[in-house]
Amino acid sequence: MAKYSLGSEPVVGSLTPSRKREYRVTNRLQEGKRPLYAVVFNFIDSRYFNVFATVGGNRVTVYQCLEGGVIAVLQSYVDEDKDESFYTVSWAFNVDGSPFVVAGGINGIIRVIDAGSEKIYKSFVGHGDSINEIRTQPLKPSLVISASKDESVRLWNVHTGICILVFAGAGGHRNEVLSVDFHPSDIYRIASCGMDNTVKIWSMKEFWTYVEKSFTWTDLPSKFPTKYVQFPVFIASVHSNYVDCSRWLGDFILSKSVDNEIVLWEPKMKEQSPGEGTVDILQKYPVPECDIWFIKFSCDFHYNAAAIGNREGKIFVWELQSSPPVLIARLSHAQSKSPIRQTAMSFDGSIILSCCEDGTIWRWDVMTTS
Amino acid sequence: MPGIPLVTRETSCSRNADQMCRVESRVHLSEEEEIAAEESLSLYCKPVELYNILQRRAIRNPLFLQRCLSYKIETEHRRRIQMTISISRTSGGGGQAHNLFPVYVILGRLVSDIAVAEFSGVYRFNRACLLTGINRGECSSQVVANFILPEINKLAVEAKAGSLAILFVSHIGPTNTLSGVDSVDGSLYMASVPAVAGYCLWGKIPLESLYISWQNSSNFGLGQRAEIMSTVDMRSCVLKTTCLDGEKCLGFQIPFNSDSMHTAQQVQVTISAEEFGARDKSPYDSYTYSVIPSSSLSHMIRLRAGNVIFNYRYYNNRLQKTEVTEDFSCPFCLIKCASFKGLRCHLLSLHDLFNFEFWVTEEYQAVNVSTKADVWRSEIIADGIDPKQQTFFFRSRHLRRKKVKNVVQSGKHIHPFVVESEYSDKADDAQSSQGEKALISGHNVAPTMLQFAKTRKLSIERADLRHCNLLRKRQFFHSHRAQPMALEQVLSDRDSEDEVDDDVADLEDRRMLDDFVDVTKDEKQMMHMWNSFVRKQRVLADGHIPWACEAFSQLHGPNLVKTPALLWCWRLFMIKLWNHGLLDANSMNSCNIILERIHSEASDSKS
Repeated sequence: MAKYSLGSEPVVGSLTPSRKREYRVTNRLQEGKRPLYAVVFNFIDSRYFNVFATVGGNRVTVYQCLEGGVIAVLQSYVDEDKDESFYTVSWAFNVDGSPFVVAGGINGIIRVIDAGSEKIYKSFVGHGDSINEIRTQPLKPSLVISASKDESVRLWNVHTGICILVFAGAGGHRNEVLSVDFHPSDIYRIASCGMDNTVKIWSMKEFWTYVEKSFTWTDLPSKFPTKYVQFPVFIASVHSNYVDCSRWLGDFILSKSVDNEIVLWEPKMKEQSPGEGTVDILQKYPVPECDIWFIKFSCDFHYNAAAIGNREGKIFVWELQSSPPVLIARLSHAQSKSPIRQTAMSFDGSIILSCCEDGTIWRWDVMTTS
Repeated sequence: MPGIPLVTRETSCSRNADQMCRVESRVHLSEEEEIAAEESLSLYCKPVELYNILQRRAIRNPLFLQRCLSYKIETEHRRRIQMTISISRTSGGGGQAHNLFPVYVILGRLVSDIAVAEFSGVYRFNRACLLTGINRGECSSQVVANFILPEINKLAVEAKAGSLAILFVSHIGPTNTLSGVDSVDGSLYMASVPAVAGYCLWGKIPLESLYISWQNSSNFGLGQRAEIMSTVDMRSCVLKTTCLDGEKCLGFQIPFNSDSMHTAQQVQVTISAEEFGARDKSPYDSYTYSVIPSSSLSHMIRLRAGNVIFNYRYYNNRLQKTEVTEDFSCPFCLIKCASFKGLRCHLLSLHDLFNFEFWVTEEYQAVNVSTKADVWRSEIIADGIDPKQQTFFFRSRHLRRKKVKNVVQSGKHIHPFVVESEYSDKADDAQSSQGEKALISGHNVAPTMLQFAKTRKLSIERADLRHCNLLRKRQFFHSHRAQPMALEQVLSDRDSEDEVDDDVADLEDRRMLDDFVDVTKDEKQMMHMWNSFVRKQRVLADGHIPWACEAFSQLHGPNLVKTPALLWCWRLFMIKLWNHGLLDANSMNSCNIILERIHSEASDSKS
């Protein structure tokens, strides 16, 4: 746990809504009876900023947000194995520009669906257990990274189907990895967190040649010299419980545990000795009734705001980059009672989607102030 | 039960002399006792049934022991003639006669195509017996020679050919003419056959004459001993031992100037012969049952050597049934056991569901059989339980092979599952031990773990086409990357299982060295170069060090020469190795020579 020195206590945001923006429920959709675990907007391709995907059970569904609160179903994919339960979904795209939906779940198989041709493009096996999160590298949308229950993080090239790197081993996670995120500007850097209560920052700088090699690899994918990255560059013990979501905010990290708050902190690495360093906790964003694990927050494209649901079906929208943090809005609806597993903020933050344990999707639209 | 049934109680009571092996049983029983006795006798049924099943199985695939036994019985019953020759008297020139001893008795075969004309007879032989004296009860001297001949009918052929003869050879004087022949245990063996020549006396009895006299003897035909007295003339000759086609031969040459000085010598020989293997037979052997009146059967049965009486005790050992088997056969599986001892071993080892008591008297051999109280119950299925519904594991190598094939073909849909046995409640105490969890599977397949172990093992023997096919039937994953492997990779000879990833190892080594604070940059680089070199070249033993130093100098020489600081690190390191006795001065010198040469080459190319 990080210790605070005098005068450097973290700034805790106030739970009084600033009412800078107001949101209103514009749609409610019952997708099915099985819980929905992930909802995500397509930030990869500007043509599809209003398209989002959800996963729940063995189903992956692609929707489009239209004017006036309308949600249109575009595509729906059902895994042939009815015991599959997808936990996570991410957008990527092929070199020719057709969007990919990348989903993973309990079976540990990553399904890459070509939404352009509506076919399975590839399936990646390699993870030894369920997949908890998949993220796409925005700077190179062919690269996706997956966090798994098998205590490893794997980097894949979606285009060539190669498992490039495995982040696991001597310095790796000691329990399920729940969340992983690419650094927004430093292409070599990732952060992962999990049930061993730590957040680990990894560098793939020394291994970048292999990442490059993966783009031009024409031989069998199984012959690719997949490398193990065993030692992270930084290990942070910010939380004392499962860390189920972490996102980069510039060089800072936003992470949350089951302590009813999101924490913004700065990893301070020592140049001499990698793996060691200190943590400076900067700000805290309280989220009441958010004490169960596997609730993930989401941000808009520019990371101006973050939205997070809670156990009781309420959503808290925080302004991230102000100090002290400002609660933009607190969204609640009488019929929204079920835990919200994940939210999705649209590109500009005008639409907030939430997917719930009871299989519903809620759409909230910002009210234009007159 | 097999064998010849004897009348049960009456028989056993009729002979009072049998006390030691028979318990007096009551002849008169009440009706209730009668039923109880019947029930107790029925305890024999199930074990006997089981042994019958086993016996039927054994017909196709007899036990090794039984095959040995039948061979033993066969050889024992093969008829042969044992011939014993002794010299009873020598006669001739008085004192001279004594000099005849020692006499060699040889069963020789005349070599028909005499290659050497000078010999009057050349005989092939295997064995020579040395007789050292007349039978006067002296233990030390060898007095009889024993030979074993084939049975009389086979002997006829040999005898008519006229080539076999019994030879008597005696040396003259104190020198041993048969010096080329070694005497071992009274028998003679030719160790090496140098051409030994010398004067000797010899006489012979053709086997044909013996055969004719045996044939004429009525006693001999009935298996009795036949004795023939015969007188043999001893003639002088020159004896030569030779070797023909690797066989020992004796050649006799009658000298031309034979003055028949010793022809007067005569030897009286007693030849007794009897059929071997016949001695064990009693006269009853030649009778068949049909000719024996049934009243005397039981009496006769006792007299035959191979007959064994089995007394089956029941009703708390108060009653017994008796039967007799021949040729020491087992009453349960009819195996002939060759001897009473063999029968004993057989019964104890193979029929352990019963208790046995063995009795041997001069008159007969008997076995008392009783049932074991509870032991057999666990092996035999209790009443009211269908054995088909009982699950059990039957493992046989042959079958398991087949199953593996099956599993691969039928895919992953068959999984063994565990169920509680339904019978555990109903079954009585005999079943309760088996009433635990039973493993039932769709096709009785082995557990899945086994299947994986099998397939992995098969990949080693991939040369086999069939195994190759098995490899095709299933997806394989790389052990490091967990990536599905293409067929081409699976079938290739390359095995990267224990490979060290040099790039990553280098990286980690460098990172580890970075942690040192009191080490200069050059020293770190030197360490890294050495560590990397040692890992790649697998320098493991102290003895590898001299080679490693020279190779390292050669490999990194240009680099070292370029940066003097690095070169000094390397030299210091070599001195350290030398300090520890790992590097000798010679090797260090040659390393420096290599470095100097590289240095001069570098400066040459510069200038």
